[in-house]
Amino acid sequence: MNRTSVKIVVAGGFGTGKTTLVGSVSEIAPLTTEEILTEASVGVDDTTGVEGKTHTTVALDFGRITISPDIVLYLFGTPGQDRFWFMWDELAQGAVGAIVLVDTRRLETSFAAVDYFERRGIPFVAAVNRFYGECAYSEDEIRSALELSSEVPLVYCDARDRESSKLALIALVRHAMSRLPAGV
Amino acid sequence: MAFDAWDGEDEAAAGRFVPLYVLVNGRTSPRDSSLDLATQVVALPADRRRLEPEYLDVLNQCGNWISVAEIGAYLHLPLTITKVMVDVLVEQGYLGVGAPAQQNIIDMRLLDSVLAGLERL
Repeated sequence: MNRTSVKIVVAGGFGTGKTTLVGSVSEIAPLTTEEILTEASVGVDDTTGVEGKTHTTVALDFGRITISPDIVLYLFGTPGQDRFWFMWDELAQGAVGAIVLVDTRRLETSFAAVDYFERRGIPFVAAVNRFYGECAYSEDEIRSALELSSEVPLVYCDARDRESSKLALIALVRHAMSRLPAGV
Repeated sequence: MAFDAWDGEDEAAAGRFVPLYVLVNGRTSPRDSSLDLATQVVALPADRRRLEPEYLDVLNQCGNWISVAEIGAYLHLPLTITKVMVDVLVEQGYLGVGAPAQQNIIDMRLLDSVLAGLERL
């Protein structure tokens, strides 16, 4: 049937503004959907102190943008905890790419996301969220701290601002297009 | 038909009477593995009288195209369960399915449309 879904992943460390960005561009208030992990899948986690806990709930926030009568873009925020990698795999599979939000006060919280998309060859842009005021670092400093390769775009945004978040999405789509082989 | 009709009186005020794993006959993953959390579905005309209330709830969300993730969010169902239930409904002809997201990555025309759509926002 002629109804197409497109996905973009919004990643970054805890508190970098993922849900804020999703909410500022989504046509609906961000929704939350949950996945329940059973005991087996929690086995690799450190559950010390929560013995007897048989399941964990992972929450995913997402929003939607109707692109045309037959195309809907879904924006999925990654779960707050980096250890839920299997959820990232599902989110990333078939996605146009990812926006990795960066808080310059805590650059290290976005390492895992950069590394994840880099390793899998998934197109992504790093978006410095200016929510917390002017950025104290130069672009070069941020690039080198995050070990961003030169072809990864670095943009600045205010995740609270619709126009600004929209520009970050556009930067990602352009980047994803630039990586397609010519003639596809 | 794997599902017998029931009168729908089991949903007690105290909460869900039927455990979720019973509802999906113990299945843990959809048979159609291309079903993604962003895949959209829509209700098709069909006789719904044999459907259990939980399945009817899912179907009632699908009057217009809607994604698996949205159905789960509105009905407060875990994603895995939502996916399996949607898959059952697709298999039995109650729901039509849109294109799964993973087919689209290398489609330049699609990305062009997305770009144009975002620029219009």
